[in-house]
Amino acid sequence: MLQYQPLDVAFQALSDPGRRAMVERLSQGPASVSELARPLPMTLSAVVQHLQVLEAAGLVKSQKVGRVRTCSLEIGAIARIEGWIAERRRFWDQQYDQLEAYLAETAPQEPDR
Amino acid sequence: MTLINATFTIERMLAAPPGRVFAAYSSLEAKMAWFKAPADIETLDRDFDFRVGGKERFHARWPDGKVTDFQAAYHDIVENERIVLVYDMFQNDEKLSVSLQTLEFRAVEGEKTRLIHTEQGSYFTGGAEAVKGREHGTTWHVDNLVALIEGRQARAFA
Repeated sequence: MLQYQPLDVAFQALSDPGRRAMVERLSQGPASVSELARPLPMTLSAVVQHLQVLEAAGLVKSQKVGRVRTCSLEIGAIARIEGWIAERRRFWDQQYDQLEAYLAETAPQEPDR
Repeated sequence: MTLINATFTIERMLAAPPGRVFAAYSSLEAKMAWFKAPADIETLDRDFDFRVGGKERFHARWPDGKVTDFQAAYHDIVENERIVLVYDMFQNDEKLSVSLQTLEFRAVEGEKTRLIHTEQGSYFTGGAEAVKGREHGTTWHVDNLVALIEGRQARAFA
């Protein structure tokens, strides 16, 4: 059993095709809000709202320089951490395989009852 | 700086009574027989002080040059029943995580033990790691994230 609250939020954020299109665009590099909006069949204010969802999910971050807000993908760090957690779980699982082997090797000849 | 909190549990049915399972944790000699890295590693430091307030350390260099450091402190020990520890995990001197690990040993009929391992952790990444991560290409990360969301295993991290 594995509980990743951040993944639930990320999953919800990515359940929308418009937001997925924005993430795909950002996977090629940072973009301004208007660059993101250009190919999408939605208003600028809808794009801004979608960006807020992606930012809240920790998938995208944005920075305002002058009058231009530039967005970039933030999931590299998150994906790395998720990888460590999966690795950690595998590590302990492996240790318990070794614990089982150790218990079998050191088992008393006559089962003590 | 990115932070993720996550919890996982591992359950194992072990073919030994709780006394023998607890013994496998409570002496360095027994623990070293099973708590070990799978590859040939060089042990840089190994400490083991199994008592409440005592510390454990496993500092090692792996064949690929990576250095890992497991530093634990025992917070609660009830003989044959449970062990609670907190451990920091370092890799190449960077702190990856702080975890609360609770081990419960429940006697099961037929000289068996149900081992319940619950681990609550805070996982970090510093700025340098995050930047290095981006060099691998974000498309790859998108693939991994989708795989994780869909419940598949992420590919190994290079």
